[in-house]
Amino acid sequence: MPRRDFLKAAGAGVAGTALLGSTACDGFTPAVEGTSNSLVFSFGPDDSGVVQAVIDMFNKKMGGKITVEYREMPADTGQYFDKLRTEFQSGVVVNDVIGADVIWPAQLAANGWLEPLDELFTEEMQSDYISAPLDTGRYNDKIYSVPWYADAGMLYYRKDLLDKNGIKSPPKTWEELYDIGAKVAGAEGLGYGYVGQGAEYEGGVCNGCEFVWNGGGEIQDPKDLAKIVIDSPEAMAGLEAGQKVVSSGVAPVAFATFKELESLTVFLNQDAVFMRNWPFAYGGLADPALGTTFDPKKVYEQVLVTTLPVTEAGQENFACLGGWTFAINALSSKKEQAWEFIKFMITPEIRETFTIDRAAMPPERSFYEDKKLIKEQPLLEVAKDAIASTKPRPIHPYYSDMSLRMAESFNENIKSEISPQQAISTLQTQMQRIADTNVPNPNI
Amino acid sequence: MSVASDARPGERGSGDGFFARLRGDFANSERRTGYTMVSPSLLLILVIGAWPVIYAIWLSFQRVIAQETSFAGLDNYATMFSDPRFHSAVINTSIFTVLSVALEFVLGVGIALAINRGFRGQGATRAIALIPWAFPTVVSAIMWRLMYQQTGGIMQYIAEKIQLVSGPILASEQATLFAAVFVDVWKTTPFVALLLLAGLQVIPGDVYEAARVDGANALQQFKSVTLPLLKPAIVVALLFRTLDAWRVFDLFWAMSDRTVESLSTYVFKGVRISQTEFSLGDAAAVFIFVTSLVIAAFFIRGLGSQSAGEG
Repeated sequence: MPRRDFLKAAGAGVAGTALLGSTACDGFTPAVEGTSNSLVFSFGPDDSGVVQAVIDMFNKKMGGKITVEYREMPADTGQYFDKLRTEFQSGVVVNDVIGADVIWPAQLAANGWLEPLDELFTEEMQSDYISAPLDTGRYNDKIYSVPWYADAGMLYYRKDLLDKNGIKSPPKTWEELYDIGAKVAGAEGLGYGYVGQGAEYEGGVCNGCEFVWNGGGEIQDPKDLAKIVIDSPEAMAGLEAGQKVVSSGVAPVAFATFKELESLTVFLNQDAVFMRNWPFAYGGLADPALGTTFDPKKVYEQVLVTTLPVTEAGQENFACLGGWTFAINALSSKKEQAWEFIKFMITPEIRETFTIDRAAMPPERSFYEDKKLIKEQPLLEVAKDAIASTKPRPIHPYYSDMSLRMAESFNENIKSEISPQQAISTLQTQMQRIADTNVPNPNI
Repeated sequence: MSVASDARPGERGSGDGFFARLRGDFANSERRTGYTMVSPSLLLILVIGAWPVIYAIWLSFQRVIAQETSFAGLDNYATMFSDPRFHSAVINTSIFTVLSVALEFVLGVGIALAINRGFRGQGATRAIALIPWAFPTVVSAIMWRLMYQQTGGIMQYIAEKIQLVSGPILASEQATLFAAVFVDVWKTTPFVALLLLAGLQVIPGDVYEAARVDGANALQQFKSVTLPLLKPAIVVALLFRTLDAWRVFDLFWAMSDRTVESLSTYVFKGVRISQTEFSLGDAAAVFIFVTSLVIAAFFIRGLGSQSAGEG
């Protein structure tokens, strides 16, 4: 309790400076509780400029009835989350609408910081949505967020090199992938058979989760989210496949330090056969700014995309869900206006704008069938299967803690510092302990 | 604080003497006015210095989850001392501190002696030597990370060529730890050298002259004249560096990309990232505070700073 009071006091300080700042209008500190019709929407930096453009459209459409202000948050999602939490703890309303990472809604909702949206975001509206992005917004039988766009882990592969070496189809299992990767990399003189994200961070957690799921294992019991079930033979088989990335020699040990950009750089240097990456990498293949060595005209014939492999043929395959959602601050005094804004952001026209101009994959199924849209944004067709196979990371109020532990164990597993057996039993104990920790009572 | 008591060696040590002295001071009207005059600053120091420390210590005996706090006694410390991550944090930080401070000291003494001789361009040399130190640690950490990288990293290339390592440096915690020591030595040796240089410059030349007349050779001069007279500067340099190294955060966090744990990264993970281990991180912060006090006391008492006044 004293900690909260302390933060409240600190928050008052923040609010004070914010108010002073807003009179100076430096655009750096947004007005707290601005004029009655202005809303603050928080989201990370958007280099494409599409977010601001869409907000401008909304403001124009509303003709001054509601004005949305885009509050730019840190690019690092960890820092963004940290900042949000500090503001919420201090009890100061800074944001009305929050652009939230898919791993946040449960964490924020458990503290009573998000407004339940069940009456606004009706089941009828939800019917066309892919289930994983929707599930991340559910906590205690209520829904707290509306999916904005989805990300999924996908397998990029060098179709041209596979053809050249007489391999007709991309691998279905990790075993196949390692064989083909080693063979083709050897024949073509490439440094890497496979690249992905093995570093100790959130992306490494996503890669690790995919290994577990694609071995047929689960981390969290889908029927009882308070139960951790990673200690299973299937999960172990998955992590064994994960360890083999390095131990079989298909990727060098440096894999354990790779994030998205490192793996993309290797792939763009034409130094790898396979790459696990997010949909954003697809546009990057032809982007000279990222240093691609591919011919932009031919690259989309040389590189194709498929879903991630599994441990044993015939198993269902999964991709880790990434992406962003919209949520409303429970303390906001402008919830109705906030909902107006969210409704606008999910209208088909705006969704199409984001899909085409920002390569953001919509969370609704119908867009992936829209021939006209696919022609404008081919990534829709490419990413369709991966997006459909998405699965959320554990949904829990203390996900941050779980993530720390998973990042550590998955990374050690890749470096063979611990065995897959040790990894799953350590995670089982540590994550169950976190899951058993008292969940805060939002009414206090 | 020890400086004040050092001034009256006779009254040091006993608590009784302290209170007696205080009573004596208050009897003296001039001294009483003095105390009244400094009381606002004392109060300020208490509020901004002591209060957060006391608050942090108090919190380390609590269990803080989300917004609820309950008394936990020594639980946080028990959990912390049995946590393997904390063990590796202590081990890594100790290795880092001992190695980096030792290397910086030896190199720093050498450099200080070298640039103490008057030569053309002395000022410029000193300025240039300080450049690595002027970089923000995060910047140099990321810069070195790029150089240690497997793809295109010059340090990785050299280390492999001279067979210092067989695999990628950044993929091995041990190698990364030594790489961090290297960066720290690169970065702060000039700082140590400069502190020692300042100490060297106040040693009067006639002491050396006398030593030479007595027939001391260069080594004897260094051992019997330079080192004892440099002691105050050495204590300051070692104290600064050891405490800095003991609290190392940004170098580990940015260069190892959070794979190598230090005491401070352990605190950060608990306090800023985790939602359930706030008190654990806070207990570790108290641990750093207490151990830092011990280190400071060791240098000040053990190596003795009294010699400062005697010179």
